[in-house]
Amino acid sequence: MSKIPKQPEKKKKSKEKRQSDEEFAYKSVLISAILGCIFYIISIFFNIEIISVFMNINIFWTFIDISLKVIIILLFFLFMTTSIGNYKELIGKPLSWKELLLLIVLSIGQTILNPLVFVFTLFGLIIILIYLYVVQEM
Amino acid sequence: MKKTNFKVLIYILVINILIIPFFLVSKGYSTVEEIDSKIGESPVIDGSIDHSSREWNKAAREEKLLGDLSIILRVLQDDENLYVSIQFDLEVEYHSLSEFIGLIISNSSSEDKEEFIDAKIIQFSNISKNEFIYSDYYIDNGDFLNDTNVDGDGAAKLDEKISTYEFSIPIKASTTNEQDAALDFGNTYAFNITYGETPIYKSGVKKSTIILINIKSTTTSVIPFTNLTVLIICIVIFSILGILYCYYFYKIFRLKGNIKRIKR
Repeated sequence: MSKIPKQPEKKKKSKEKRQSDEEFAYKSVLISAILGCIFYIISIFFNIEIISVFMNINIFWTFIDISLKVIIILLFFLFMTTSIGNYKELIGKPLSWKELLLLIVLSIGQTILNPLVFVFTLFGLIIILIYLYVVQEM
Repeated sequence: MKKTNFKVLIYILVINILIIPFFLVSKGYSTVEEIDSKIGESPVIDGSIDHSSREWNKAAREEKLLGDLSIILRVLQDDENLYVSIQFDLEVEYHSLSEFIGLIISNSSSEDKEEFIDAKIIQFSNISKNEFIYSDYYIDNGDFLNDTNVDGDGAAKLDEKISTYEFSIPIKASTTNEQDAALDFGNTYAFNITYGETPIYKSGVKKSTIILINIKSTTTSVIPFTNLTVLIICIVIFSILGILYCYYFYKIFRLKGNIKRIKR
């Protein structure tokens, strides 16, 4: 049998796969952005100290308060990096250091009211950046 | 992202995190004996700390040992008063019916006996009924003598196992006389925190420790401006983030339109 009729089928399959990948990437962009937005809103409440029920009670609650603030900011950073990275991939460009730097500045900016949150967030961001760098290299 | 740019970024962040702990360590050593008072809203002197209304929220907080008794010390000030709170956790059977906490105040940062001229004492008369008396004494050659005018305020409460003592001491009061330590803004004073179980001063004192409290020179009318500036910067950052979010979501939905168009 001739092999000629099989080629359009292959092309169709590859096109379908590409479309499915794009849809997956788009969903990832949207869901990560929504999750990032949720953590941004939670961060407003905790880091502007609208919610400060855990503050200054004892060491345990102070630790919980600082941990919550740091984790919220780090999750915000992680989801936004994922979202922007996938968005850039969809439009065919790589995630540049300028965008990453802007995200770092905006994440660190959220810690302005608490020096301890600042230090731990900075430490967490460094770990995430090293992790992303290692993953990228692999 | 370029590899070199990323490396430079990582180096900057690592250098930052290596430098910051040096500042934290130097501050850490200085707070062992000295406490910098913080400026905040005046708490209600009622012997309890209401966390839901952010009472004592801005206070400097230290855990200290009063002999073998672990206490939580909070120090706060406003335009008029210095507020000190002492809290400790003790099993009910170890509380004495006539327990007291006193603040013996030096006229300066000196820890010489002669310098401690003023004493504010909250004395329980019956701790099981939360009945207490706040007293103001001046110390003359080691004798505790009642002040002509009682300056400041104090209250205490035993809530299950936790005792809370709250003091309010006037700073630079116009009524200040020789019977009180003349607290002033921008100065450091030695405070002897004492704990006792019988209302006999000074022989009733069972445990005591001396701390230095630095009263801030700036008053509440100046500090909120700094706090306000930081808060405004924080709000600006969150607003920028909000605007960027709106723009980003707009771009995402536009991207969806573009993908659909390419599909067609």
